[in-house]
Amino acid sequence: KRVAVGTPKRNIHMSNIVEEMIFDKQDVLSTPKLKSKRSLAFGKEKDIEKILLEVTPKKPVEETPKRVQRSNSKYVKDSETPKTPSQKLKMIRSGELTPSFKEREGIEHSKLSKNDLQLARERLHVSVVPLSLPCREKEFENIYTFLEGKINDKCGGCMYISGVPGTGKTATVTGVIRALQKQVQEDMLPAFDYLEINGMRLTEPRQAYVHIYRQLTGKTVAWEHAHALLEKRFMTAAPRRITTVLIVDELDILCNRRQDVVYNLLDWPTKTAACLVVVTIANTMDLPERVLMGKVTSRLGLTRLTFQPYTHKQLQEIVTGRLVAAVSGDARRALDICRRATEIADSSKGKEICVNILHVQQALSEMIASAKVQAIKRCSRLEQILLQAIAAEVTRTGVEETYFMGVYTQFESIANFMGGILVPNTGQVLRLCSKLGAERLIICEHTRNDIFQKILLNVSTDDIHYALRVIPEA
Amino acid sequence: MSDGAEELLQIRRFLKERLQRDYTTFRGHDTERENIRQLLQRTAEMAESNSLLLIGPRGVGKTTLINAVLTDLLNNPDFIQNTLVVHLNGYLHTDDKLALKSITIQMQLENACDGKVFGSFAENLAFLLECLKAGDKRSKSVVVILEEFDLFCAHHNQTLLYNLFDVSQSAQAPICILGLTCRLDVIELLEKRVKSRFSHRQIFLFPNADDFSEFVKLFETLLKIPNERELKKHAERVASLKLLQSDQLTFHQNHYDPGKYKFNKRITDRWNKHIDALLQQNNVRQALQSLFDYDVSEAGLKIFIYRLVAQLQNHPGRTQVTSEQITQLISSYNNDTKVEILCGLSILEMCLIISMKHHSEIYDRDPFNFEIIYARFNKFAKVSTGMQNIERGVVLKAFEHLRNLELILPIASCASKVQKEFEMHKLALTYGQIHQAVQRYQVLPTEVTQWSQSSLI
Repeated sequence: KRVAVGTPKRNIHMSNIVEEMIFDKQDVLSTPKLKSKRSLAFGKEKDIEKILLEVTPKKPVEETPKRVQRSNSKYVKDSETPKTPSQKLKMIRSGELTPSFKEREGIEHSKLSKNDLQLARERLHVSVVPLSLPCREKEFENIYTFLEGKINDKCGGCMYISGVPGTGKTATVTGVIRALQKQVQEDMLPAFDYLEINGMRLTEPRQAYVHIYRQLTGKTVAWEHAHALLEKRFMTAAPRRITTVLIVDELDILCNRRQDVVYNLLDWPTKTAACLVVVTIANTMDLPERVLMGKVTSRLGLTRLTFQPYTHKQLQEIVTGRLVAAVSGDARRALDICRRATEIADSSKGKEICVNILHVQQALSEMIASAKVQAIKRCSRLEQILLQAIAAEVTRTGVEETYFMGVYTQFESIANFMGGILVPNTGQVLRLCSKLGAERLIICEHTRNDIFQKILLNVSTDDIHYALRVIPEA
Repeated sequence: MSDGAEELLQIRRFLKERLQRDYTTFRGHDTERENIRQLLQRTAEMAESNSLLLIGPRGVGKTTLINAVLTDLLNNPDFIQNTLVVHLNGYLHTDDKLALKSITIQMQLENACDGKVFGSFAENLAFLLECLKAGDKRSKSVVVILEEFDLFCAHHNQTLLYNLFDVSQSAQAPICILGLTCRLDVIELLEKRVKSRFSHRQIFLFPNADDFSEFVKLFETLLKIPNERELKKHAERVASLKLLQSDQLTFHQNHYDPGKYKFNKRITDRWNKHIDALLQQNNVRQALQSLFDYDVSEAGLKIFIYRLVAQLQNHPGRTQVTSEQITQLISSYNNDTKVEILCGLSILEMCLIISMKHHSEIYDRDPFNFEIIYARFNKFAKVSTGMQNIERGVVLKAFEHLRNLELILPIASCASKVQKEFEMHKLALTYGQIHQAVQRYQVLPTEVTQWSQSSLI
């Protein structure tokens, strides 16, 4: 009975912590102030609880270490920088230690020393996202109105965005968020919280809870705990709650077999208390119908948006928006090709600094070139004969899959026909096989199968004929 | 005399060390080398983020190329101060967890301490990403070298590759990802979102297979002793490797040091002249040609020369590399190891092999078991003079010996419950190999030789 009395009390207490933290964070982002405020509040509560503790013995074992930890970390902060790594880890977990990166020692190259091509290359880098994305105005408008409406009405909702990689989904969504945040600053829109998670950055779907909770409070806790706390936050009504916008990138990775994570993420917006808007992003258009369970799909709703791959003209606009035109369906790809072209132009030391069509063509052929013909040409003579033998065996049997023994017979006859070659023994030919297999010109089984291994050509026979016919004549 | 012996010892040691422990000398492929050098330089100086795949067959010198480029860049103080080199290998870092710990240690992040990383896998990933996110153009650039790149593609969800490529394509700490692999179709292994983030720069490194004269020249440079000026230049280069303060790039710790050697000019002249004369000989060129036909890679040639150099001794006629040694060594390459195993079998085992050959010839390589072979062997043993009273148990033992030598292979699909006399096998030899073995076998009885020619008794 005593436990039954104790549990609800603690629960309320926990949700209080969460609420308090979030509201404090909105005001100022200074941790020490927040700390002291809370520790004051805690001091009062502590006293009350102490009295309670004396009345009800041997109960809150879980709460005591927590408080100890907090005072401990505070102590560390007050005194000196931490010495032991475990203390450091504690600080990382509590969010007090911000991750940093080593700075350069040399002076950075000033903008002045760069020539036009270098500047162009910098601007063409994929990481430089422009303030307004060209050719995505309609999608931008669509997402903007959706989010703006939800924030104004203080209600929750879901949206699903799909499209092949490199079509500007994430860039557009973050652009919308940026525009909305600007509106908030100008007091045109009620304030909102912005959280984002990426499925590929998690080691496991359930880590999503940990990441969301950390973005809310800055603390790292175990996922079970994070889940419980988030559940509390979104289920219980709070008077001063503001809308939370959650962006979920790479949604398909979050789908495990039980789909509990996706379900929870999409179930919270349906609660009136949550004020949560979830925007999910994935590659496939029919992901909800194909992978997700019925109850999850129904919660995802029908607000969907598809990003079409860029057409030739749109890509041209993007590149000229940054600079100069290319051929591909992926904006990242197009930009990389352009960047490579500027490098080629730079190294060719042209007097007039500009990228001509030859440079682009060279970059293009470098990036989408298939090297198989080249690889066959550069094989040793016996490897070439082996490839020919496999092709001959395929023609003889009419089956794609050949056996080593048949290939070896063909090999012997071709080598004898060519003359002047000492025919290698089976062991040597097996070695040649595994070498070609490592390069993936052929696909072969493990060598333990010895002369019974199956061999499959991984290049077309036309490629082999083309590559080998040219050599003897030249 | 002892002076000459001393010199020879020195030459041998020098050549051996240069063959084995010269990790930074890379020959040819100037455009590819320049390309990678510029890429790394831009990463270090301009803080540009890049990704690149270096693809080429085994033994072509992919790792050596990277080492050589890194050595070149060591003269550049900007590079040493402003870059962190992180080195990962697909065979060592078999999953993302291990790879991530290794990255954390090599980048000396805050949750690492003396080679130990604290926190779970998820925490490590989150912390690394936050660190990279915290960085910008002003932070140090990171060069990540991923050897055996194709094995990283097999990791769960390709989380590590996605995140590394994603960092290289967003405004975070400058990072350059260099993947090394021997698979030509490695791009197809990448998931589509990972592929989209990869910059599609691929550099293919192929051996120079068209030109035999290049191969001969390489043979010459690997065997000749450089003059004093060249030695000095090399020594300086090797000395600069000390600047490389990475625990992971260990090649500088045990690099060969040409500064240790000093040769008498007269002796080196004689040695080099002899090599020149050697290469004029026809049989030497023929031997090299047959090696070239089989394997065009530099690694293969180095192993061959190592074996050649190891034969140098202070005996008359052994102090120089001779053409006989070369031709002999090449012909030893063509020895069939299976025939040698066959020649070491007992006569009873040889008889069983011949029975198997007859069975395979008659039934077109149908599988067999012990009983079939024993019956066939018995037919021969009854009429032969020397094989009459061999017990069944002895023959079974011989059969098992053949199985252990993997001259016969059990058929995998066979149920395991079958008794060993009835287990089906197939013969892992060609008829030509058996024929050769019968020819080369010492003191094989005439009746066995005759029986091997025809299955009729």
